[in-house]
Amino acid sequence: MKEHLEQRAVRPIADDGDEFHFCSTCAFSQACLSSGYDKAQLRELHVLVEHVGPYKEGEHIFREGDPFNAIAAVRAGTVKTYVIDTEGREQVQGFFLPGEVIGLNAISQSRYPSNAVALESVLLCRFSFPNIAALALRVPGIQQQLFRLLSSDIGKASLLAGNYSADERMAAFLVSLSRRYAARGFSATRFLLTMSRTDIANYLRLAPETVSRVLRRFQDDGLLKVDRREIELLDRSRLETLARDVLRG
Amino acid sequence: MSGIPPFDAELLRRYDRPGPRYTSYPTAPQFHSEFDESALRSHIRRSNEDPIPRRLSLYVHIPYCFSPCFYCGCTRIITRDLSRARPYLERLVRETALVGSLFDRDREVVQLHLGGGTPNFLRPEELEELIDSLGSHFRLSSTPARDFSIELDPRFLEPGDIAAYSQLGLNRASLGVQDFDPTVQQAVNRVQSVEETLRAIDECRAHGFRSVNVDLIYGLPKQTIEGFSRTLDIVLEARPERLAIYSYAHLPDLFKAQRQIKAEDLPSPDAKLALLELAIDKLSAAGYVYIGMDHFALPEDDLARAQAAGTLQRNFMGYTTHADCDLVGLGMSAISHIGDSFSQNARLLEQWEIALDQGRLPVWRGRSLDHDDVVRADVIQQLMCQAGVDIAAIERRHEIEFPVYFADSLERLRPLVADGLVSVDDRRITATSRGRLLLRIIAMCFDRYLHEPQPAAASARYSRVI
Repeated sequence: MKEHLEQRAVRPIADDGDEFHFCSTCAFSQACLSSGYDKAQLRELHVLVEHVGPYKEGEHIFREGDPFNAIAAVRAGTVKTYVIDTEGREQVQGFFLPGEVIGLNAISQSRYPSNAVALESVLLCRFSFPNIAALALRVPGIQQQLFRLLSSDIGKASLLAGNYSADERMAAFLVSLSRRYAARGFSATRFLLTMSRTDIANYLRLAPETVSRVLRRFQDDGLLKVDRREIELLDRSRLETLARDVLRG
Repeated sequence: MSGIPPFDAELLRRYDRPGPRYTSYPTAPQFHSEFDESALRSHIRRSNEDPIPRRLSLYVHIPYCFSPCFYCGCTRIITRDLSRARPYLERLVRETALVGSLFDRDREVVQLHLGGGTPNFLRPEELEELIDSLGSHFRLSSTPARDFSIELDPRFLEPGDIAAYSQLGLNRASLGVQDFDPTVQQAVNRVQSVEETLRAIDECRAHGFRSVNVDLIYGLPKQTIEGFSRTLDIVLEARPERLAIYSYAHLPDLFKAQRQIKAEDLPSPDAKLALLELAIDKLSAAGYVYIGMDHFALPEDDLARAQAAGTLQRNFMGYTTHADCDLVGLGMSAISHIGDSFSQNARLLEQWEIALDQGRLPVWRGRSLDHDDVVRADVIQQLMCQAGVDIAAIERRHEIEFPVYFADSLERLRPLVADGLVSVDDRRITATSRGRLLLRIIAMCFDRYLHEPQPAAASARYSRVI
């Protein structure tokens, strides 16, 4: 009984930080852990943080063209970013899980280049960008962390590019979620798909029926188990193999 | 779990009290009218967005009956005017189009049940229109494993009807019998010959129906051991794949037709128990397996196999082998179970008609389930279908600590454990063979709403368990 309770699949939420401790999923925790800041510096970073939300399901956090002034780390829930193409169709760009940072792709411009919407109740830690940029000038660890976040954000986009099969895309998507949850201390093998079938399909450039068909086949082949929105990965190594080319690309 | 539980009259008498039948949890009295059309639409939309959306099970309610059976508690309209079928059918087609458009097209319909009322009030041509319309707005499964069933009143079957149903793709039938004893038949206003009944069963078989179910009722007015014994012999001789033996629930305040039944004609509680005992003995001897509640089946029937495999489910249509379908109810008073919601259509014909004429979904009331409802529904479903609960599976699925979460329920189970109805250990709750005829009583321990203050008269809405 205990072992089931230790790694919860349902609704991961970071524990609250305080003046001296960051939330366990904090995007910046690495910056201070690795650099060993003193309390004064930590406090300085902390006063930049503003807890905002909850945003309700379907509520926008920012819209394309809004003036850029802050990046935000997801503390709970899932955020989807998307743009509307010239033909008026939605194009999903990505999903952001607890511990991940939204708004990074706005840094080079003065406006947000996409829309961000809450897929379920979402809590954020908001960092005023001018302030954190100023702090980064004085605290090298913060700057490094910003660069790390920026480069991983660029890397995420590669999942979409390339001529991959539906199976490869789906496997890569699941493996990516699994790794990202694991990196924040959540279960790597059992998690909720908080995004809709339509959104997954849109993101992977597949038809919604194909998403279900591939998942059903994966299930029949013993790779995973689907129960409503919950996914349990049963054979990660086979999924990793399927996903290899996409994730390397 | 096989065979038929032993009969313990003293125990059954002690536990004979009103209780829900748990075709849903929460039960229908917990539905409310704040659950409206937009709530239903949003549950349907959400259900389309699961990674693998559930397949569908359709229930279509046809309320018309030619004459009133006095025991009946169903929502029905008595008429001999066949022309009333047409406007009803037209609105059913409209409802089908309206509701069908809300479900993604890749969601296969693997179960269809035509219930009533009397579905064969509609002529085969009319049923064909209905099924064609279902087929153009939903994706009906074309595999032989699909279950497309119809309730039939053998008294109103015309030659060729059953052949026509088979042509339409219907492959399971359920026949009302209740009792062949002429005195009982007169007392309940349902005179039905053995010949027409057996002919219907034979015809279903001749036309490739995969199963025939027969409904019997014990506890009817004027019913006797001798008469019911003869009925059982005739029915068992025909060997239907499935048998339901319902308890007559006399609730004249709730069901107007039952006011025609004189209370003094009803068998005493002991006589009623003796009728049940007789049925159980005869079914055991004939090799039937107990499925749960009022249902029995031959061991090679799909229901018995599903029960053995642990995949049996229970919904408004009773027991079913179709795990994890969203259930879509069409027609007046029909109930739907979509995602984590229940909803029920308008129970008055006029209200159902007006909604459809205005292009609205005819939802009357319903309920969105919260997490606690979902957990308890899972436990109750396992009890009703598997006669037991796998504690670790519930803990894992719902991320609860069972002994803590269900401390109250486990406390309520204690007297039932002492009476030998149920055993409880760290891993399982198991109905004993003595407890299997009293699954409702065990399930009631897990029903939050029975143990909360209720509006007065709420308990009068449930039938007694035996």
